[in-house]
Amino acid sequence: MDIELSSEDLEFEKEVRAFLTENAYKLGEDPNEWRMGWFEKAREKGGWDVPKWPEKFGGPGWTPNQHYIWQKETAAASKPWDLPFGLSMLAPVLMAYGTEEQQQRFLPDIRARKVNWCQGYSEPGAGSDLASLKTKAELSEDGTHYVVNGTKIWTTMAHIADWIFCLTRTSDDGIKQEGITFLLFPMKQEGIEVKPIITLGGSHTVNTVFFQDVKVPVENRIGEEGKGWTYAKGLLEHERTGIAGISNSIVALEELKAKARSVKRGNGSLMDVPSFKAKVAALEIDLMAVEYTELRSLATASAGTAPGPESSILKLKGTEIQQRIQKLTMEAGGQFSAAWGGTNAGPDFARGGMAGYMSSRVYTIYGGASEVQKDIVTKKVLGIKPGKK
Amino acid sequence: MNFDLSEEQQLVADSIERFVQDNYDLESRQAIVAQAPGFSETYWKTMSELGWLGLPFAEEDGGFGGNQIDTMVLMEQFGKGLVLEPFLASVVLGGGVLKRAGNEAQKKAWLEGVIDGSKQLALAYVEPESGDEPHNVALAGASAADGYTLTGTKCMVLHGGTADAFVVSFRTSGGTVDESGITLALIPADREGLSVQGFPTVDGLQSSELTFDKVAVTADDILGEVDHGFGALNAAINDGILAVAAEAVGAMEVLYKDTVAYTQEREQFGHPLSDFQVLQHRMVEMFMEYEQSKSLLYRATMEVAAGGEDAQRNVHALKHLIGKASSFVGENAVQTHGGMGVTEELRVGHYFKRLLVIEAQFGNTDYHLERFAA
Repeated sequence: MDIELSSEDLEFEKEVRAFLTENAYKLGEDPNEWRMGWFEKAREKGGWDVPKWPEKFGGPGWTPNQHYIWQKETAAASKPWDLPFGLSMLAPVLMAYGTEEQQQRFLPDIRARKVNWCQGYSEPGAGSDLASLKTKAELSEDGTHYVVNGTKIWTTMAHIADWIFCLTRTSDDGIKQEGITFLLFPMKQEGIEVKPIITLGGSHTVNTVFFQDVKVPVENRIGEEGKGWTYAKGLLEHERTGIAGISNSIVALEELKAKARSVKRGNGSLMDVPSFKAKVAALEIDLMAVEYTELRSLATASAGTAPGPESSILKLKGTEIQQRIQKLTMEAGGQFSAAWGGTNAGPDFARGGMAGYMSSRVYTIYGGASEVQKDIVTKKVLGIKPGKK
Repeated sequence: MNFDLSEEQQLVADSIERFVQDNYDLESRQAIVAQAPGFSETYWKTMSELGWLGLPFAEEDGGFGGNQIDTMVLMEQFGKGLVLEPFLASVVLGGGVLKRAGNEAQKKAWLEGVIDGSKQLALAYVEPESGDEPHNVALAGASAADGYTLTGTKCMVLHGGTADAFVVSFRTSGGTVDESGITLALIPADREGLSVQGFPTVDGLQSSELTFDKVAVTADDILGEVDHGFGALNAAINDGILAVAAEAVGAMEVLYKDTVAYTQEREQFGHPLSDFQVLQHRMVEMFMEYEQSKSLLYRATMEVAAGGEDAQRNVHALKHLIGKASSFVGENAVQTHGGMGVTEELRVGHYFKRLLVIEAQFGNTDYHLERFAA
């Protein structure tokens, strides 16, 4: 057991830092050109644009240490925005279960960030109990396409997405996990309506999506009809690991400390107030531990495979930590966090503090609520098989 | 020992409860929020007609001779509907200082208007760097011929945008955090050099920032004695804490009851959510937090109303417990409602937002624990 970085690792760390510094956004640059250029240059480094993809599909084939270094360095750096749906969620499914034709058709555009994907999973009646989904896909008589009808909800970024990967029901026979089929189709077509959902932070990221007689060619089906649940499960584990957001929390914690230090209290700052300082310290300790929980999982998981049920632990602890950071940031802003625009009162960071905290409440709900994650750990990790309810 | 409301109080409670039920469903409330001035002038008028705005004022001042217990009864009902009208700002806070520190002429000039709703007061005591401490006052009164001039800022002045006059704390002697040396004045909103910038807060209510640019304060404006304003200020803030604590108790009642109802309707895994023990126990805890809050609310309110020796300590305890309970009840109401809980469509999120703002006002949860232990 050893946590030392080897001289190769240190060399790699230097290289990553140099890359990030060199390609940081410069004032006046066109943000979109910069973004596309950044990914192009990362690609030229040998797959740095798709760190988690296996080498076979153009990934860099990094060691766990290199992944760790990348995560740590990029969290604080100027790096273009990215959505996980195509890159981290659909891509592994395509690699594992897609045909070669499908891989060639979809992976290059995902990699080039040309096509934005969204995820059609939850439904009004199927949240935590995802497998009870009802969106129907009926095979046409000539067997060339499916006709999709139904409603998806909480669909993140559906309003900007070009394509959706969607769980549909093709059969009601057997247990509910059977008869689910995994389909891919474009969002900008007749029969699809996207309705925004405004969340408590006042923002629009999620939507309700309605499908009415949407035609999907059979060649857009992943794997076999009725086996979609098997493909989808692994994808959820990828989602959970991403949601944990641990390297981002490490950066956010340092920012929180800086913010609290800027708030005057007596002769010192808020960071000198014992009760506040203690809460920040307790948070930091939990974060130190979860950072290593992630590293341990990183060290055992080989690239390309789904992270496994341990991803539930990361999701549970990671999201709880994110919420605590938001809560303390709100507290540091004091009453000024309550402002809803229209004022410059109080420290700059305080404005929107309560909205930020409200937004963070969803972290323990989406991607499988904490209660569901605990059920997964109960069954899959502790091996407890519940009796009849 | 008697925790029952008097017949009169019960009548008031019933009539407020009906008012809230009839007028404060979420949709109606949000329609009021969306339009200036952010509350309903019609409801405000109704409240004055029903005598609610005169509840905590002495009969000789034109009020109904009630005390903090009467305000509690009203605010608890207001909390169930997240009422938007400036009762707290004008009656409890602004009026709370004026009735304690004002002389006959000042009370005569303003209290009648406060009670009939034609005039609004607001309390300006928070400053950019005052933190949670009401005695932390940096706004300095520079001596002038007939009093003082003020230059500086007051922040988070509740409902300042529609106020006709402000009760302002400023320093006339001592250091920034001294309790003595604080002076209070009643300054009309149209006084030269005073500018008011109103803005909304996340709970749908209204707040404001005041900028003083050589604002003249004359001897007639001073409330009570120079340098000795802290007592009345602190007493009004204590009333404010009792009032928002009662409002929070009303809001928590809605949150735990909505959660219990929702879990019985929503089915997942072939069962209503309420079949799951993990949720049952959580809801029991929400209920207990609510009951505990209500108990301490009664205790602190009666202690303050009776002028008990332990009143201040009770207020600190209450604000701490309410903050802790609100956080627990609010977070778990949202969590248990799942995705729907974080949307603007269901009311739970709106109640939680109000609780968050209350938590940050008048000193937060940690601050009052520290004061309680001091």
